[in-house]
Amino acid sequence: MSVSVDGPVTRSSVLDALEAAYPMLRGTIRDHDTKERRPFLRFFVCGEDVSLASPEDPLPEEIASGREPFMVIGAIAGG
Amino acid sequence: MKPSPAERELSREEVARYSRHLLLPEVGPGGQKALKAASVLIVGGGGLGSPAAMYLAAAGVGTLGIADPDVVELTNLQRQLLHKTADIGRPKTDSARETIGGINPHVNVQRMKLRLDSGNALEILSPYDVIIDGSDNFPTRYLLNDACVILGKPNVYGSVFRFEGQVSVFNPTVGGPCYRCLYPAPPPPGLVQSCAEGGVLGVLPGIIGSLQALEAIKLIIGQGDTLTGKLLLFDALGTKFRELTLNRNPDCPVCGHNPTIRTLIDYEDFCGVRALGDQEGGGEEITVEELKERLDRGEDIFILDVREPQEYGICNLGGHLIPPGELPARIAELDRSREIVVYCKTGIRSARAIETLRQKGFTKLRNLKGGINAWADRIDPTMARY
Repeated sequence: MSVSVDGPVTRSSVLDALEAAYPMLRGTIRDHDTKERRPFLRFFVCGEDVSLASPEDPLPEEIASGREPFMVIGAIAGG
Repeated sequence: MKPSPAERELSREEVARYSRHLLLPEVGPGGQKALKAASVLIVGGGGLGSPAAMYLAAAGVGTLGIADPDVVELTNLQRQLLHKTADIGRPKTDSARETIGGINPHVNVQRMKLRLDSGNALEILSPYDVIIDGSDNFPTRYLLNDACVILGKPNVYGSVFRFEGQVSVFNPTVGGPCYRCLYPAPPPPGLVQSCAEGGVLGVLPGIIGSLQALEAIKLIIGQGDTLTGKLLLFDALGTKFRELTLNRNPDCPVCGHNPTIRTLIDYEDFCGVRALGDQEGGGEEITVEELKERLDRGEDIFILDVREPQEYGICNLGGHLIPPGELPARIAELDRSREIVVYCKTGIRSARAIETLRQKGFTKLRNLKGGINAWADRIDPTMARY
């Protein structure tokens, strides 16, 4: 899915826009109150794990331009 | 368990059987003998375990362990190719041994009809060179991870859900991350659906389990690049692979610099499974028999179905359908003055729905124990069961 972000494109602003478009996601990717990443999810940018980076760090141009996805990868257990 | 050098030699029949391997310089006689000498434990004889076991057997892995506590069910056969229609009701380990023996009679198949737990895992894993995680639940995945780290064994991880697959090799002994580095904690029980709830395309575990077999073979013969430190994603709907880089967590409680988990723990407790079970039994359940009696008496009960529309189409109790993802936004459709019986397929999603409704001030809530599957089993045998 695509979201539009006003201002700097950061992890926070992307997730804010995502949760605004899909309110049911609030509290699932990030904690309702602290906005911390849930431990069963990780964030990847251009193939690299940025889960531990600052949520206010600017994301690369590939993400901002929509050429590459900002990936939220969750634990699955099916076998 | 380890074969003697003489036992590792290839017979004339084996040379012919493995000729396409022997022609590969990366395998050759040395690699094939390594496969013959190797032992692989496959945890879970299901969707992932089936292709993994069948390809490893065909490849000539000398010893294959299969650990699975279950018997074959009709719903398994859409993807679990180790088992056949005639095997329904038989232990999966028995049908697995027959299938593997039919593919390659040289393989020593070790059957373990049991569930791995903290008390038996280290002893069971210990003799094997490589562990393949083909399990279907979070407690077993964390148990296998921790046991592999403690024992210093490579853990070939695979998991599937709907149209999505993940593969990696967790091998901290060579510097790679472990499963806990990737996912330090599991999702709360009920938040992430299982394949039994959300479904899985049958061919998907065939692809992911085959990749697990591939990784195991490369680990054994010492060739190629494994997925250590990488997470391979497969999108079956888009037919797309994507490789992501994984980093080791120096603070990982199991494989980090100062590990705090040095022995196996209670993984059901860690994953919250027991707490959910306690919650389900916490006085707010209703059995299918009681619900039937009360409906027959004409009592005023509101039936809330918290499954997905496609599940409702398979079978239903005529209840009001609100998929779990829509529940917070559609609470206004519910009357908090009436008693509400909530059901799903098995009782897990409905327990979470009740939790959501309680937080919104609902009090007259009952969870249908065993879900609609229990209704199909005990009240209406003509109802479809899925």
